[in-house]
Amino acid sequence: MTDKLIYLDNAATTFPKPASILNRMVETYGRIGVSPGRGSYDLAAEAQELVNETRRKTARFFGAPDADRVIFASNATDALNTALQGLLHPGDHVVSTRLEHNSVLRPLYHLNRKGILGYDLVPFSAKGFVDPENVVAAIRPNTKLVIITHASNVLGTIQPVQEISRRCRERGVPVLIDAAQTAGVIPIDMETWQVAGVAFAGHKSMLAPTGIGGLVLDRQLEDIETSRFGGTGIDSGSMVHTQDFPYRLEAGTLNLLGIIGLSESLDFLEETGIEPVHSREMGLLERLRDGLSELNGVELYCAQDLFNHVGLLTANVRGLDPSDVGAILDADFDIAVRVGVHCAPLVHQSLGTSPHGSVRFSVGPFNTADDIDCAIQAMAEIAGHARRTR
Amino acid sequence: MSEPSVPQEQKGDLQQKRCIIADTEILLDGEGFLWHVGDWTEEIAEALASELGIGKLDDAQWAVIRFLRDYYAYHGRAPMNRDLKAGLGISLMDLEALFPGGIRRGARRIAGLPNPRSCT
Repeated sequence: MTDKLIYLDNAATTFPKPASILNRMVETYGRIGVSPGRGSYDLAAEAQELVNETRRKTARFFGAPDADRVIFASNATDALNTALQGLLHPGDHVVSTRLEHNSVLRPLYHLNRKGILGYDLVPFSAKGFVDPENVVAAIRPNTKLVIITHASNVLGTIQPVQEISRRCRERGVPVLIDAAQTAGVIPIDMETWQVAGVAFAGHKSMLAPTGIGGLVLDRQLEDIETSRFGGTGIDSGSMVHTQDFPYRLEAGTLNLLGIIGLSESLDFLEETGIEPVHSREMGLLERLRDGLSELNGVELYCAQDLFNHVGLLTANVRGLDPSDVGAILDADFDIAVRVGVHCAPLVHQSLGTSPHGSVRFSVGPFNTADDIDCAIQAMAEIAGHARRTR
Repeated sequence: MSEPSVPQEQKGDLQQKRCIIADTEILLDGEGFLWHVGDWTEEIAEALASELGIGKLDDAQWAVIRFLRDYYAYHGRAPMNRDLKAGLGISLMDLEALFPGGIRRGARRIAGLPNPRSCT
């Protein structure tokens, strides 16, 4: 038992944020927190320049060719909705996977129900990986897009998106990746990987606040259409929403505070480097995996080999509802985790953990070995208590 | 002290079903939680407990159920984890063991509180 909360829900939102990012956000927003690019006064121009500079930083971060194709969104889900609704037309076909989050599954289901498109979902292996061969085999003549998560938010497994993208590109099919779980801990290079688009969340491993994310595109997706029709301050005299990038896919005043936070977090990540953070998180995850795997009555999923993983793993205590395990960890041990199906119901169907799901532990940059040891001890007590009382 | 208004039913699109419980037609959600909080009676609690294999609710179980219902009636929501632990004076591990279905599908469901709809 500790006197502080042990936060192990970093795959949902990293917490806490580096104080330097928060302090600079407040300072900058207090200084230039006006409508960026609106009006003729210098402060609006200064705010716009900060937005432009953040687009340039974001493009560099993802190895994207063009800062004008950095589209700001509320989060990865918002960005994915923008992409899917803007790219797909009647008669199109999409290939995706059973690893996806509902941010992909639900838009696909919605568009399918409206009769707009068909889609196939490729399965994943017992270790939690999609086989590129299966993705390519699912491509049809009318396949417009392959969309795949870069890392599963349930299993933590990093998918072979480079090979998938290369092979799909050979077939003329662009690949969009959902980098919600990888942006900020795994380097992404769109140009080298030939990835057509990346959707990212700012509030996870990128260490920015909630409410900012984005869609980064390359020229393969030049024909993306807006799914919201107004309006920005660009071409205000026209009844038609501007088709210029990035404004084509953005509507209304931008989340300047979030963009400032993203700008600061990109500087922070550049300074610290993302490989050391990932390496440290994986060290903690291995410690957690090793500890949990020794416990009688605790079951782990796809965690035998943590190569090509991000810092999360999922588990269950035999005989207990995962939502109860989460409540016990919170109230009795001051440990915050995520329980349920993690908005990825098909993963749990495949694992056999539907409908109640599992307990997900996800480490972040501020976790320590002591945190992990407390979590292992707590799970040992919960599993032992369950054995004695069942 | 006046009590805040208490929501009497859930909103949303959970799958509903009608069942006869303790000779009363009750609307339940897909997981068997009461749809209308006001439908709850002690007889229904005993019937829901019986479904979980509890022959007759004992004093300890009734203390939990009454705490949950009183808390909900006053605050208009279920207790948070820490409130539940402090209010009952037992660990949630012990609470979980007290009901065959555990905390959510046992205690909370038998007490007639709405199915929690947090994002999972």
